[in-house]
Amino acid sequence: MTDTALQAGSRASGGSQAKRQIVMDRAFQSATAFFAFLVLVILGGVFVSLVMGALPALSTFGFSFAYMQVWNPVTEKFGALAPIYGTVMTALIAMAVGIPISFGIAVFLTELAPPWLKGPVSTGIELLAGIPSIIYGIWGLFVFAPIFQQTLQPFLIDTVGQLPLIGHIFAGPPYGIGIFTAGLILGIMVLPFITAIMRDVFETVPPMVKESAYGLGATTWEVVWKVVLPYTRVGVIGGIMLGLGRALGETMAVTFVIGNAHRIGKTLMAPGTTISAAIANEFNEAVGELYISSLIALGLILFFITFAVLAIAKIMLMRMQKRAGG
Amino acid sequence: MNLYARRRLTSRIALGFSMAAAAFGLFWLVAILWTLFYNGLTALGADIFTLSTPPPGIAGGLLNAIYGSFIMTLLATLIGTPIGIMAGTYLAEYSRGNVLGQTIRFINDILLSAPSIIIGLFIYGVMVVPMGHFSAWAGAVALSVIVIPVVVRTTEDMLNLVPASLREAAAALGAPRWKVIVLIAYRAARSGMITGVLLAVARISGETAPLLFTSLSNQFWSTDMNAPMANLPVVIFRFALSPYQDWQDLAWAGALLITVTILIINITARMLAGLGSKGR
Amino acid sequence: MQKNVRSYVTTGATAGALPGSAVQAGELTEKMSIRNVSFFYGQFEALKSISVPLYDRKVTAFIGPSGCGKSTLLRILNRIYDLYPKQRASGEVLLDGQNILEPGIDLNLLRAKVGMVFQKPTPFPLTIYDNIAFGIRLYERLPRDEMDGRVEQALRRAALWNEVKDKLNQSGLSLSGGQQQRLCIARAIAVNPSVLLMDEPASALDPISTSKIEELIDELKSEYCICIVTHNMQQAARASDFTAFMYMGELIEHGVTEDLFTTPKQKRTEEYITGRFG
Repeated sequence: MTDTALQAGSRASGGSQAKRQIVMDRAFQSATAFFAFLVLVILGGVFVSLVMGALPALSTFGFSFAYMQVWNPVTEKFGALAPIYGTVMTALIAMAVGIPISFGIAVFLTELAPPWLKGPVSTGIELLAGIPSIIYGIWGLFVFAPIFQQTLQPFLIDTVGQLPLIGHIFAGPPYGIGIFTAGLILGIMVLPFITAIMRDVFETVPPMVKESAYGLGATTWEVVWKVVLPYTRVGVIGGIMLGLGRALGETMAVTFVIGNAHRIGKTLMAPGTTISAAIANEFNEAVGELYISSLIALGLILFFITFAVLAIAKIMLMRMQKRAGG
Repeated sequence: MNLYARRRLTSRIALGFSMAAAAFGLFWLVAILWTLFYNGLTALGADIFTLSTPPPGIAGGLLNAIYGSFIMTLLATLIGTPIGIMAGTYLAEYSRGNVLGQTIRFINDILLSAPSIIIGLFIYGVMVVPMGHFSAWAGAVALSVIVIPVVVRTTEDMLNLVPASLREAAAALGAPRWKVIVLIAYRAARSGMITGVLLAVARISGETAPLLFTSLSNQFWSTDMNAPMANLPVVIFRFALSPYQDWQDLAWAGALLITVTILIINITARMLAGLGSKGR
Repeated sequence: MQKNVRSYVTTGATAGALPGSAVQAGELTEKMSIRNVSFFYGQFEALKSISVPLYDRKVTAFIGPSGCGKSTLLRILNRIYDLYPKQRASGEVLLDGQNILEPGIDLNLLRAKVGMVFQKPTPFPLTIYDNIAFGIRLYERLPRDEMDGRVEQALRRAALWNEVKDKLNQSGLSLSGGQQQRLCIARAIAVNPSVLLMDEPASALDPISTSKIEELIDELKSEYCICIVTHNMQQAARASDFTAFMYMGELIEHGVTEDLFTTPKQKRTEEYITGRFG
């Protein structure tokens, strides 16, 4: 068979060109695969380097590291309970503030806002997401905390703080800074992230579904609460989890206003610390292998917590996407 | 009050809350920006751009920190962008539902929201400890690790928006796959991909946590990539928490600089994305 | 180049009976031969053992109701289906005597020889000039003035030159729909293919643009083997020399266009062209 013009590499002029293209094709595909694989390597690297760094602390303290409250660089006794408590509490406060407000904004953007207002409000909220966390921190410390200390905080302590059962967690002197303040700042920080996802999933509701509810005489609120929300529940939870992941791992905004006290205060108004704030504050001043290792071990715990939360968020959002697509 | 009136009242109250929430969100944007300008502008003078960070009590500026932030952001973008584009290309063009692709997509989305302080600890472990000292290189690499997932995500999304017919048309002319991607698909997705890179730049411009234990900071003017280098976020962090008024003023000036830069980048990116979707 | 010069009678033997007609025997060269080709989307058999010849310098039209497999057949001829997993073809498609369904065929070279124009215009997001030059640059390295000449030549043959000669540096997307489609035709012929596949090239265009495309097809057939898929029977009747009628993945009838439209052999062909179904 001589007439094999289309066989790879047989035509004198086009042949070498074609061969080169096949080589280039393979090279390009391999290169993209290599860099894609690098993404996995990065995550693996994060995990391995944290485990290696945390090993001295973990082998010294064992599991007690996770539930000991003591944090004493002098006697080299370290336990993670106070930062874990602070991390979880600030994140929960942030969620308590962030979820309803985000929901309100998302409803406003998808159901209420006239078209001319939709763009500017959307952009404003997205710009809020662009402001770096250190700005929230410096602003929280110098502007928010003093105002909070003189107005809202005494008010909360005098009212909610006097209630039976839940009162004691809002009691105590108004420091301005502390776990509650950090939670509020975090709540404002995660607002735009949760809002963006809620808005996006609300927009996946087919207009026909909404219209048929309106057609039955439902009010706007009933459409949102009984049609849109159930329809998008998975995605909304995904968005909330994503915001929670952000809140748990946020460093700078918290570090400025948390008070950096390694103890579990009796009230939410008291200073405390979080995992990330402890690392940011102490890492560069830490002396001794065990101290540094304990801080890295804190990082490892944070890695596990956020990984789990973000993985759940991602799975929820993937389920939402599948439904919207199918 | 009959049932209908009550339903309508509930709806009104709820929608009122929704509007209040939107106003609440925007209020913080305005409040933060206002105090930033108020405190930052008073501290902002020519010295900021001509002098390096001073000891307390002496006139100074932020020149070394501005330079450091610029150079580390630039390097991080130069390192992270090609890696992110290649990885995003794999996900969009070659992975088509395979397990590796799905895993990478999943992991990338987690990295996208992962706490940046953990990235700092990671680079501390793999660069600072082996090298024995803090360095601007370590800072740039730490920031690039934050750039990568952002670029991967936007590249994949934008390439997925390129219609299959365009790829078919290029392939039908006898173009090999890599040329279809590089010459046609990238071209069609260009404005979206640039938007992604800009958003990544905006994101790392304000990142503090990953730089704390990598590039650290430097009181003095330094261009040595192998030595600690000053940068705006870490300087802001230290100066703001210091007891000296003049340092705190410099922190405000730096905060204003960073925020304005980021907002400008963000708005540019948004406009570019708008142009791109109109052109398509 | 054409080694497969056969008389009309011998081709007839492989392609099924052709009616005697105005097309003179002996002038026909079988450029592509589709032999017992079946096609699968996963498990679904979209084409069932199709055999049909495509003659050089003639226009062959494929007609049939939507979903009959005519576009699928076209997508086999340059193996563009290969871009997608889970699609496969069996049988033989000979191009100048060589089976292009064989493994080891260089698909890029094949596609450079078998050009394709799509249903919707697909200008690249490049300038008008670069849209044409893109394909040429893939296989030839030309100095600038020679490239200019090739681009002009392609645009002239696609009857687009006069409309765009002053704005070659504008985006291809700035043209009207009909112009975009002619740009795509110019792009396809710029690489000097020997076969031109057109998948409903005028279905997205207005009547005036459509007639321009049809005129163009008529001119281009003096140089190419053209294969056109259309759902528009008048277009097939006007523009083609041969017509193949397909239905439910099968080839029902193939013959000289005039004969097929005036004296169809098969009942289903007759029903379709008289508008009783489809």
